[in-house]
Amino acid sequence: MDCRDIRESISACVDGEASPGEAASVREHLASCERCRVLERQMRAVGAGVRQVRGSVPDRFREEVFARLESEGALPKRKKVVPTAWRWVAVPLAAAAGLGLFLLTSREVVRGPAPPGSAVARVGTSAPHVPSPQGNGSALSSEDREMLAMLDLLEDPVAFDTNDDAVGVDLLAPGDSADSPDPPRGGRSGA
Amino acid sequence: MLLFREGSREAFEELFSRHHRAVVRFAWRMTGDPSAAEEAAQEIFLRIARAAPAYLPTAKFSTWMYTVARRTTLNYLRDTKENGEKVPILQEGEGEDGVYPVQLPGPDDRNPEQVVWEAQLTERFRAALAELPEGHRAAFVLNRGDGLSYEEVAQVLGVTVQAVKTRIFRAREMLLSRLSKDLSA
Repeated sequence: MDCRDIRESISACVDGEASPGEAASVREHLASCERCRVLERQMRAVGAGVRQVRGSVPDRFREEVFARLESEGALPKRKKVVPTAWRWVAVPLAAAAGLGLFLLTSREVVRGPAPPGSAVARVGTSAPHVPSPQGNGSALSSEDREMLAMLDLLEDPVAFDTNDDAVGVDLLAPGDSADSPDPPRGGRSGA
Repeated sequence: MLLFREGSREAFEELFSRHHRAVVRFAWRMTGDPSAAEEAAQEIFLRIARAAPAYLPTAKFSTWMYTVARRTTLNYLRDTKENGEKVPILQEGEGEDGVYPVQLPGPDDRNPEQVVWEAQLTERFRAALAELPEGHRAAFVLNRGDGLSYEEVAQVLGVTVQAVKTRIFRAREMLLSRLSKDLSA
């Protein structure tokens, strides 16, 4: 085949777009034509050249495109899941609700039927839910010591009065006690 | 695109994230100028967004996107006085023997598609690319630059596959001719 006639097929071969028959003709021609082999390499190189022309995305390209789209009304506004004003109200509300729920459930646990043998265990299981800022409670406050004294009382089955659930109330919800403000929470974990 | 058509902003954001680099690159290769490329690329996304209500998934999204991109850059070039019918660079008798006196990267022992182009040669190449007739440039850029097949390029340009094959071949000839003239000067 004449060189002039096969150049277009060489170009298609370089792009991987030649038919099987066309590719076979090109291979056969290149095997015997040094000039077209050079051309084939030049065609490959010039094909690679276009990928060197890359440009770059301008810094504010995205902002400018989206601003233009929004100004035209061609882009839906971003949905706000929570209105800004509600964000400031939601957090305190959630905290208050959580605290209320905690206090309620604490009372329910204590005021339920309490057989004598399970009282200590109940106190023991509720204690780990209270974080201890002082680790193992090496420095005991007066409330801690009071609580430990009450635990000693609980461990004595004779001294323990099963009908007096006020002990439990004072122990687990001391805030309800008129003569005792909320003790430091670390005191409970010490128990 | 279908989700965006139904009003999802997030769908457009995802579409933008996936394709904006390709769109900017295409516009850069077609216009040959950074500010023109940016302006054209912005216009491409505006047109994509405006066309969303009428979008039908009859072809690959990328093919449709490049159709929009090519038409937009073509209009942009026309607006800036390019008529798309530039005089072919190849002069009579030039390159007749199919060998061009140009030293492109790619000595015989290396793959010419993997070597690093020097900045000066890349700049000359960009200038030569800008001199191609728009239809040839678009075919060559879409195939070699963006990886579209001849069939996909034919869809984007609205021509036959044979016409794409010829345009790409002619683009190669013109580029080799132009580069050899520059580099031998």
